[in-house]
Amino acid sequence: MKTYRVTIGNTGQTIDCAGNHTVLEAAVAAGIDYPYACATGNCATCISKLESGKVTLLPRGDAALRPEQIKAGQTLACRARPRSDLSITWLARPR
Amino acid sequence: MSIAEKRNRACTKLLADVHAIVDKEGIYPSALHEMKLKLVALAKRTELFPLADFAMPVAQGRNHPLLVEDNDGLGLYLTISLPGKEAAPHDHGIWCVNAALAGRERHQLFRRTDDGATPGRATVLKVGEVTVEPGHGMAMADHDIHSTMVLGKEPAIGLAVYGYALTRFPSVSWYLPQFGSVRTTASRRHAPAA
Repeated sequence: MKTYRVTIGNTGQTIDCAGNHTVLEAAVAAGIDYPYACATGNCATCISKLESGKVTLLPRGDAALRPEQIKAGQTLACRARPRSDLSITWLARPR
Repeated sequence: MSIAEKRNRACTKLLADVHAIVDKEGIYPSALHEMKLKLVALAKRTELFPLADFAMPVAQGRNHPLLVEDNDGLGLYLTISLPGKEAAPHDHGIWCVNAALAGRERHQLFRRTDDGATPGRATVLKVGEVTVEPGHGMAMADHDIHSTMVLGKEPAIGLAVYGYALTRFPSVSWYLPQFGSVRTTASRRHAPAA
């Protein structure tokens, strides 16, 4: 499986993420305190801005990510698998 | 009488029955079981729930309110989940019963096994599994932990009654076995009633 480079804008870190893993899985494995809760596309805690690059989205609830949010460049880190090198920033308020 | 009127009448009767059960028995396993049987019976009346009346999800999961009571009461929903839709183990803090109209959804039940001493860390153990399909349902108490996954290639469509409306849910605790973590979402108990 191809591996991509994922830059987390909030921390400035760049990590590896295999194409069969989500951005959230790679971030947690790298020790990054990425905000999340359900990790299955229901709660939107991990909602993020995809600054650059491409992802495919795993199944999710309608309320977690609306079409207009996708058009605005938002994604769910827990549902997003990279299809290119990418840069992403989580939108949750600082904890 | 239109189908919508018949459906609303049946939903109103269902929630009245649920209130009668709670008033008589409280929220105990026997009461939840009785509620489940009532909901399964309603779900068998598929003529009341034509798919043309309920939009499919834009993504993979959508909840249609059928009857949401005022004054912080019960919520009855028609839920549609497409193949692949899942929810990690979670405790939504309030009881619920559900019943299938179509399709199959697997519910796995878990028990928390750590002592809760480390914030954000948790372990859970699978203790049961139920497949909800037409003619069947399941009931969960306030703090039961369950996960869901749609099975097969057909949408899982069902009815669900929650002790509170979804817009007024308590904090939900999500258990992620792959991360060894527990995370909670904010309570909606202080949100305006929708």
